[in-house]
Amino acid sequence: MTLTPGRTALLATTLLIVVTGALAIADVSPSTPWRHLYLAPVVLIAVRFGVAGGLLAALGTALAFGPFVLREIEGHGPTRAAAEGVLTLVVLAVSGAVVGSLAAGARRQRERYETLRAAQRALAEPAPLGRVAARLAALLTRRLGVDAAGLVLDEGHVVAGADTLDPHSLAAHVLARRRAVFVADTATDVRARRAVVVPLTSGRETIGVLAVERLGDVSRAERHALIGLGAAIGLALDNARLAARQRRFAEELEEKVEVATARLAVMDRLKSDFVALASHELRTPLTALQGFSELLATRRFAPDEVRRLADIMRGEIERLGRIVSDFLDLARLERGLPPALRRAVVDPAPLIAAAVELFRRTRTTHRVELDMDGALPHVDADSDALDRVLKNLIGNALKYSPPGSCVRVRARAAHGVVTVDVEDEGPGIPAEERARVFEPYYRVRDAAALGPGTGLGLSVVKSLVEAHGGSVRADAAPGAGTRMTVTLPAVP
Amino acid sequence: MYSIARPCAPLPRALLSDAPLPLLVTLGVLTAGAGILAATEIVPIALARALGAGGAQGALLASAVAWAAAPNGESRPAPAMAALVVLAGALGAALVPFGEIAYLAAPLWLWRARLRLPGLGLARARMGLVAAGAAFGAVLGVHLLVTASLTLGYGVRMPTMTELAPWLAYDAGANVLTTEACFRGALFDRAHRRWPFAAAAALVTAGCLARYLVDPLLPHSVEVAAGAVFYLTLLSVGNCWLYWRSGSIVPGAAAAVVFFAAYRLLREVP
Repeated sequence: MTLTPGRTALLATTLLIVVTGALAIADVSPSTPWRHLYLAPVVLIAVRFGVAGGLLAALGTALAFGPFVLREIEGHGPTRAAAEGVLTLVVLAVSGAVVGSLAAGARRQRERYETLRAAQRALAEPAPLGRVAARLAALLTRRLGVDAAGLVLDEGHVVAGADTLDPHSLAAHVLARRRAVFVADTATDVRARRAVVVPLTSGRETIGVLAVERLGDVSRAERHALIGLGAAIGLALDNARLAARQRRFAEELEEKVEVATARLAVMDRLKSDFVALASHELRTPLTALQGFSELLATRRFAPDEVRRLADIMRGEIERLGRIVSDFLDLARLERGLPPALRRAVVDPAPLIAAAVELFRRTRTTHRVELDMDGALPHVDADSDALDRVLKNLIGNALKYSPPGSCVRVRARAAHGVVTVDVEDEGPGIPAEERARVFEPYYRVRDAAALGPGTGLGLSVVKSLVEAHGGSVRADAAPGAGTRMTVTLPAVP
Repeated sequence: MYSIARPCAPLPRALLSDAPLPLLVTLGVLTAGAGILAATEIVPIALARALGAGGAQGALLASAVAWAAAPNGESRPAPAMAALVVLAGALGAALVPFGEIAYLAAPLWLWRARLRLPGLGLARARMGLVAAGAAFGAVLGVHLLVTASLTLGYGVRMPTMTELAPWLAYDAGANVLTTEACFRGALFDRAHRRWPFAAAAALVTAGCLARYLVDPLLPHSVEVAAGAVFYLTLLSVGNCWLYWRSGSIVPGAAAAVVFFAAYRLLREVP
């Protein structure tokens, strides 16, 4: 049978009545050895209800046993028996207090461990710190038997138990001084309201404060227990924070790995596409070279025809050379090396004019217009690299523009830089793809239908321009088409 | 929550600060003078007793009013007025036929000033605790009657209302009212705002015992003194607990009035 509080009180009351009745019937003096039976209800109640219960039980026994003592005093004066009776009353009161205090201390110790366990459980929940603090404050209010509990964390940024932290409050004081504070009365209530504020510590660091308020006493033992609880909660809170940080880090890492994996998959696909494309791109000029060389070896041609075939073969060889150069540049790029440059101070104007002139002569299906400032400043550049950049951009513009359209090349000097724009009237590049056209192997959707390509040209252009300390960007041209802008620093 | 959201309150002043010292000295002189007058029989003994009791109880109520008033209240009740109504009650009861009704002047005056005396908690007494207080007083009173009749041979009599009414008026309007107001509503409240319950209750109980044991109008035999110490200690501690639970002196006053009513039922007790 479980001894519930009600049953304990009933049992103690019954014992008290039985003992008193027996003593009254026997009509004994206050010094009778049977008086010690009063210890039973006192100890029983003290163990179950603590100090207050023990004292109340002692009071009950005093009311029951008191008449025996008073009768002795009133009848015979301060006799030895009366003194023993009075001493018994004192012993009962002390026993009630001491046993109650020990029982309450043991109970408090158990409650402290249970509170700490519950606090650790609350702190382990994956939730924002503010919500965890509010939940913890509610839990502490319930478990510590106080009227209010609050927490201040992160130097006052997270507060539970109040809306904001007053800079002159007890909590702010404890946060700054790192020492527990006890206030016997907050002067905010019609009854005495105690407040205890203790630091939440983790190692030597104070990571917040715990504040509790109660209408009534907060004993010294409870205050010491609160300081210990503050240290334990501080440690648990710090661990929970570390765990949360670790969790967040793991999630971020997982996200990054997912993104990288997806990117690798795309790269892998692009590379596969590239191998197929590169084989095709290499085979086309090789097939032409093989065919024309066999023709020259097996047939006789007029000198003009031979020259024409040789021109075609030279064009194909140049194309092969460009493709191989792109491959070499890409190889360096992928190893994290800058392109090999032989830089010197050059005048960009003749290079631009020559590139434009070349395309004007060879690509008669389009108009190529040049608009250039009279005197461009010199740049510190590798003239071959610059030539490749220009030819790549103008060649791209011609490739993706419809026949009969115009490709405009503008060169300007402005604020210590030389800017070259190449504008076409092609279908343009969708805005979301403009940044990606400079990635190796990347080709704009539907680009394959407009002309052959390896997807390396613009990435090589970018690496070359950046190796010169410049930049290149793709924009929408006014109307339709694309505008590629190369900016190179001028030599002062 | 005070600890977080409000600036720290300044430290409380000394326990007995704010006492109306000049008034207390005056009332002390009056009480001592009344004792001398009674001893020398220069004035009628009833008048001297009224002056002495009125002065002493007036001093208790004046202290209670000074300590229990709201600290920053705009119009604090005058302690002198409190002393005056208690003195008037004592003189009225001594000098005028059916003048005991004058004892009720003090509770009426306190009731009017209840909102300006938050420490006494007259405006917030809960009926449940008042009933508990009355029950506590009844238990103590019955125990007193049983013990006294079994041990000292005191008889228990049922007085008529005309006999009991003056005593009830005295207890409710002077004896209990001034004791509860001073020792529970003011002194215990102030002490408990500084010290633990046990220390505050011990101080107040000692004060209460002193108040009754030095009263020249009460019998001073050893057995009566022992009984007084026993019952008044229990009554005082119990009333401290009732005040702590309720924040009002009314439950404790109910306990004391019922206890003293039982005490008045004892035969051979003046």
